[in-house]
Amino acid sequence: MMAPNLRKRIWQHKIFYLFMLPGIVWFFIFSYVPLFGIQVAFRDYTFSGGFTGSPWAGLKYFQQFFDYYKSAEIIRNTIIISFMKLAVGFLMPIILAILLNEVRSLKFKKTVQTLSYLPHFVSWIVVVTLMQRLLTPYGGPVNDLLGVFGVQPIQFLYNTSWFYQVILGSDIWKNIGWNSIIYMAAIAGVDQQLYEAAKIDGANRFRQIWHVTLPGVRNIAIILFILSIGSLMSAGYEQLLLLNGPATAGIGSVLDVHVITSGISEGRLSYAAAVGLFQSIIGLILILTVNRIARKVSDVSLF
Amino acid sequence: MKKIWFKGVSILIASTLVLGMLAGCTTKENAENGGKEGTSTDKTVKLKVLHNWNGSSGTDVDMTPIAEVIKEKTGVTVEWEYTTGSEVEKVNAIFATQDLPDIYTGPAWGGELDGMIKAAKEDQLVDISDKLDKYPNLAKSIAKENVPPALYEKAIDAYGGKKYLLLQNQPATDKDGTDWLYGFYVRKDIAEQIGVDPQSIVTKEDFYNFLKKIKDANLQANGQPVIPFGGFSNGWAVGIGNTMFYGGAGYMDKGDGTLENSFFTKEYDDYTLYYRKLIAEGLLDNESFTQTDPIAKEKVSQGRVAVLAAHFPAIYDASKEYVKSHPGSDYIPIGPLERGGVDPSRPVDLGIQGNNVTAITKACKDVDAALRLLDFLASDEGFLLVRYGVQGTHWDMVDGKPTPKQEWFDKFAADTSSTLTVRKSVGINIGFESMTGRDRLNSVGAGDFWLDKERVQAMESARKILRPNGVNIVTGYNPGDVIMKSEQWEMLKPSMDKMGDVWKEAIFAKSDDAALKLMNDFRNQMKKTGYDEAMKYTNDQLKGKDVVTIQMPN
Repeated sequence: MMAPNLRKRIWQHKIFYLFMLPGIVWFFIFSYVPLFGIQVAFRDYTFSGGFTGSPWAGLKYFQQFFDYYKSAEIIRNTIIISFMKLAVGFLMPIILAILLNEVRSLKFKKTVQTLSYLPHFVSWIVVVTLMQRLLTPYGGPVNDLLGVFGVQPIQFLYNTSWFYQVILGSDIWKNIGWNSIIYMAAIAGVDQQLYEAAKIDGANRFRQIWHVTLPGVRNIAIILFILSIGSLMSAGYEQLLLLNGPATAGIGSVLDVHVITSGISEGRLSYAAAVGLFQSIIGLILILTVNRIARKVSDVSLF
Repeated sequence: MKKIWFKGVSILIASTLVLGMLAGCTTKENAENGGKEGTSTDKTVKLKVLHNWNGSSGTDVDMTPIAEVIKEKTGVTVEWEYTTGSEVEKVNAIFATQDLPDIYTGPAWGGELDGMIKAAKEDQLVDISDKLDKYPNLAKSIAKENVPPALYEKAIDAYGGKKYLLLQNQPATDKDGTDWLYGFYVRKDIAEQIGVDPQSIVTKEDFYNFLKKIKDANLQANGQPVIPFGGFSNGWAVGIGNTMFYGGAGYMDKGDGTLENSFFTKEYDDYTLYYRKLIAEGLLDNESFTQTDPIAKEKVSQGRVAVLAAHFPAIYDASKEYVKSHPGSDYIPIGPLERGGVDPSRPVDLGIQGNNVTAITKACKDVDAALRLLDFLASDEGFLLVRYGVQGTHWDMVDGKPTPKQEWFDKFAADTSSTLTVRKSVGINIGFESMTGRDRLNSVGAGDFWLDKERVQAMESARKILRPNGVNIVTGYNPGDVIMKSEQWEMLKPSMDKMGDVWKEAIFAKSDDAALKLMNDFRNQMKKTGYDEAMKYTNDQLKGKDVVTIQMPN
């Protein structure tokens, strides 16, 4: 039973709850309903048995994953790539948001903002095709340009020497603008009087950023960091599927792609579900841990 | 506040209306597409057929002349669905999501076939064993004597007397069956330019030296360096050089009469290290395993690839445009190259065992109509209709032989589109040919008479070079079909599925040692998942039987 005052408060803010409704429905359908399918990880999935009628298999598929001779390599690759993305990709949007906040020309600011958002709406398949065209050593414009300066053609894609740079660079290019929106909003919410007070105290622009802007985005940054930690076991399915090749398999094979290839290409749905569940459980543990640490250290936490 | 509340409610109502409208449209569409227009005997039934071949396509014409005749004869019209992407993924996806067509047809090998066998065992397909007596053409296409033995035991008669799968396009006689002429082909002008006769290249060393010469010549095309050796999308079919190292089949005789998977042999190591050298020295296009089909074809059509590995039709079609503007630049076969451990005078062993399995799914809305359609297509009449078009319109029977009408021959010849639009508008090559029973193109038909003369001539020239001793159609047991019946298969299959990936990874390894380590690690994984026991089972089962250990790609 809901407490009467809670019901009253909900009714009072009904318009906000109404706006939340589509989001709640979305999460219910796409995040909660599929939880029902988790049981497949503990069953020998058959087409005829489906989710509920297939025979139980216990932890067989988890065992298979840990027995797989490449499982340690796949987990390691996933963590390395995710960690690099987190370390660099997390800071970049904050830097972009701060830089844009300092731009005084509104027209320039809007143009940069729009241009930086655009890649977010381009699918990875298009991005990778563009990269293949631009970066190929067989007549790609980038190598042609380098050739003008006497540089020998470089195999940028599917090459272990350039793999991490390509993965990180394309990830930042695609997401930096979009991820900076929330920081832009946070910065916009900073009380202008604080900047004026800082100016009176003799702070230059760097000092203002350091003492006013950064503390202004600190809470939102911590929240987003906690959420990002939850994805540490997920390095990005589409990007890695497309940008990893046989030459880079040793450092580019990640859990997300392993789940998809096992499930869809090899038809091992129970195994794929087990690996996916393992990913999620580790993600949950990480979120809980980082949330607790954040609460202790900074008083900011998700829950 | 009231205003916001009003707006919110308005948005919600509008969204509901739009969603409702969409749902309404969907329902209507389903009714139109899926519903039968009458009973199976006297009215037209529309059946959805999944043609599970990546890149296959249909026509914009609603009812082609061929489809009209099929409708008239069987009362069935076909709604096609074509696959774009992996065929294995498609098989797994349709059964996992239960988004089933009425009829499925797709590759008769690999993961696609495994998926269909699994589906049959799990009651996802219709058992047709008690209906075959009414459909003699279908019964004939899966009669024991008309299906390779191991395939029969593995896929056709593997369900305790029930039958679910139909095999298509296995040659009806020795005259039938398609030899796709797989091989290495070099641009004639490039071979001349570097002064090497392609027929003088026989050994693997010759082939390596030839590629090296091409690279050292620093040739340019379209302002770009010429790539010595390349292929089509995702590595197809650059790996066919394996036949220079061993018999080419998946399994080898260890010399004591027992079998071993080729992956476990010294010859396979040599083959891997040879390709590693080609990659390391920039002789093999290192984009060949990751490039898409358009990019691969663009390289060929711009004249940027000297040697291609694939089958003749693919190379001929991809290079047509470039050859037209650069006469004398056509691709011609290299070799014939040596075959590992095989007497050079031996005819080329080809596995022509049928290329499609067809099944009626449990979701089929009218099983009798589906059987009627398939039986008609598998009849001689259906076979000729699908291959040649409508008798009397597109071809005539002259002295008992199908003969093309000149008017249509000219129309087809004038169509230079890569998708053969004109042929498709008649209904040829849109998928029906994958369901016509045994291949009788030469024994009942008169060969592929729609092919243009230049192409036929070029193909015959290639055949003369690549098949000096003719061909031998493989009829023995394929150990790959037997090992999957072992107890260990469930554990072993995931490892076996990765064999190709490991080979690719190995040829890109930094050193020979690193490549061999990758291979050996994987061999250990296979052993850990029951390879030895499964192999023992396979050897026991095949004792004294004719086993396929030599096979060229086809």
